[in-house]
Amino acid sequence: MSVGFWEMVVLFLLVLSGLAVVRLQNAVHAALALIANFLLVAGVYVALEARFVAMIQIIVYAGAIVVLFLFVIMLLSAANANVGLDLLPRLPWAAALGALGLAGVLVYGLIRYQPAANPPALGGGLPQALGPLLYDPEKWLFALLAVGFLLLVATVAAVVLVEPERILAATTHPAHPSQKEEKVEVGP
Amino acid sequence: MIWLLASALLFSLGAYGVLTRRTAILVFLSIELMLNAAALALVSLARLTGSLDAQVVVLFIIAMAAAEVAVGLGLIVAIFRRRETTNIDELRQLRW
Repeated sequence: MSVGFWEMVVLFLLVLSGLAVVRLQNAVHAALALIANFLLVAGVYVALEARFVAMIQIIVYAGAIVVLFLFVIMLLSAANANVGLDLLPRLPWAAALGALGLAGVLVYGLIRYQPAANPPALGGGLPQALGPLLYDPEKWLFALLAVGFLLLVATVAAVVLVEPERILAATTHPAHPSQKEEKVEVGP
Repeated sequence: MIWLLASALLFSLGAYGVLTRRTAILVFLSIELMLNAAALALVSLARLTGSLDAQVVVLFIIAMAAAEVAVGLGLIVAIFRRRETTNIDELRQLRW
């Protein structure tokens, strides 16, 4: 396995941005590091002949999902929630040991893997190559429809979850003293 | 191959984040890192085996992640409204 210079650079940057996501104390900075990580991964996708997936990665992950994260982080910060500024990592060495063990198991599985000698080309991973698979009734069409339905259900669920008092009052258990009345406004 | 290594490292970093972070939203952020590492593994395996099916699965992962984030962040906001905290050490009603 020959590793080029730029591959090493990108690997280093990926690990660096990943470390920033899990270690930075400021939640907004962690989310911005996550954007950097996603953009790097999108670049890797282009190098791996997955151009359409790379575009979707940029639009959906680095665009929509992290913006949603940033929005909620800032919403909670505006309501004086603790969103990570003074978090207390309990037993960080134990967690690091666990993560290192996990990495060891994954890398152990990795070095035993022998890739095929000459894999066929992927057509650049363009929509022209992916589309027929995606809409083939014998391959992924049912999964595609299921994912579309999942998105619809998730949209409805998200709206219902954050709807103000009406639904909340109906679902609040009256015999639970620890549930306080709403004092902090965090919604539109 | 090197991207499979990168995927393994990112997945482990995400697991470390899930174990050490103490606010729900940052745990969620680390879970996104792990999800993305799995997608990276799928794309590099698609390249190594010459099969486009893995790339289709990655598209589904991304769509599923969008749905998951919408519901998960909605849950976090709803929990914050009722408890005024997102610290997972204080949200222990479901822990035995």
